[in-house]
Amino acid sequence: MYGIIAFFRKNYFAVLFVALEFLCFYFLFQGRSPKGEENYYHQAGFLNSANSVAGSFYKAYNGVTSYFNLKSVNDQLAEENARLHNNLSDLPDTSKHLKEPQTNPYGQQFNFITAQVIDNSTNQISNYLTLDIGRKQGVSEGMGVIAPGGLVGVVIGVSDHYSVVMSMLHKNFQLSAMLKKGGAFGTLTWKGDDFRYVLLSQIPKSETVKPGDTIVSSGYSTIYPKGLVIGYVEEVKPIPTQYFYTIKVRLSTNFKKLGYVYVVSDLMKKERTELQENAYKSNEGK
Amino acid sequence: MINDLGKNILRFLVFLLIQVSILKHLDLGRFINPFLYVLFILMLPIRSNKALVMVLAFFTGLTVDMFYNTMGVNAAACVFMAYCRPLVLRTYAPKGEYDTSAKPTMQSLGLPWLLSYTGTLVFLHHFVLFFLEAFSLSSFFSTLGIIIMSSASTVGLIVLSQYIMQRRKT
Repeated sequence: MYGIIAFFRKNYFAVLFVALEFLCFYFLFQGRSPKGEENYYHQAGFLNSANSVAGSFYKAYNGVTSYFNLKSVNDQLAEENARLHNNLSDLPDTSKHLKEPQTNPYGQQFNFITAQVIDNSTNQISNYLTLDIGRKQGVSEGMGVIAPGGLVGVVIGVSDHYSVVMSMLHKNFQLSAMLKKGGAFGTLTWKGDDFRYVLLSQIPKSETVKPGDTIVSSGYSTIYPKGLVIGYVEEVKPIPTQYFYTIKVRLSTNFKKLGYVYVVSDLMKKERTELQENAYKSNEGK
Repeated sequence: MINDLGKNILRFLVFLLIQVSILKHLDLGRFINPFLYVLFILMLPIRSNKALVMVLAFFTGLTVDMFYNTMGVNAAACVFMAYCRPLVLRTYAPKGEYDTSAKPTMQSLGLPWLLSYTGTLVFLHHFVLFFLEAFSLSSFFSTLGIIIMSSASTVGLIVLSQYIMQRRKT
């Protein structure tokens, strides 16, 4: 017993070092553990920028700096408005669509909530955004985030008034995407080098892919609506030993100039997950 | 007259503010990523209790992690730096011992001492920080490049801040 006490007294500095590092690694791995298949990575409680201290600091900071981006944010929104007007005139009878109630099972599947980006980075290996809305405004973990021009990321942490978003520019980000022409599926990842490009892999060589082709979200991911524009093919690299192309995709979202974004909630998510769980359970029973 | 405790708390807040409002959004590309806030730990008095320094380093790192969403990475790097600090201080001690009045600043111990002291510790801090963040050795050389460039920029900012603080005092 005295031996142990003497040991701690003699080496208290090293013991403290090991204990504190252990605590750090505990936080680190807690932040990395995937929570469920769809929920990506979730971050533990208060230790992210959604907490009230960091959140309100970034909000105040953004209150000052957001004015510098105002012009480009306005341009983005005006462009989006024009695009939506064009889509609207394509619809056969818009008035009928709009009158239908939101609970219609064949009508609206996705609900969009506006949010302001109050913190953002593009030069790390793991980039995050902080939004000025949280649980009280209906945000929850696992919801998708899109910008007027394209896709942004996925919510991984929420507090009452703020939320943290894993940017597409994150080394752990993965998304199923497809070619608009032809409909071949592949996986999108970011290699941590350039905020303008992502890589689309696993597109079979049998497909014809040309620079400029549009890449859209596939319906396989339940986080985003199907067919959202992600980016355009920049360069096609055939891998000699494989049957697949690796495609460099130029993102349609300018991550350096994000002002307003939309948080996407899937109104049918609960129904679908329940259905899947029930099917899984009844399968197990046999 | 502000006492030492007040001075250190003020320093902590100022460096944290500079870190999360200016340096985080500076965006000089992915290779230059200065972390000036470590200067708070580096500037704690030479004779302060080393265990206390380590605990302070832990909480400083954790605060920065909160703003950066890095979950313990900065804390781990700061604790490691605090662990190495006594050894580094001993290594660079002028003629064996520090004066009782000596402070870990450029004004007190000179530019060469400051460069070797902060250079070593900032490099160790950044080494742990960026490798833990990358969490793999697959991009070893690019991570090493980031570490070297970022360390240089951090040390540059430290020297600059020392000149500013020196001017303010005279």
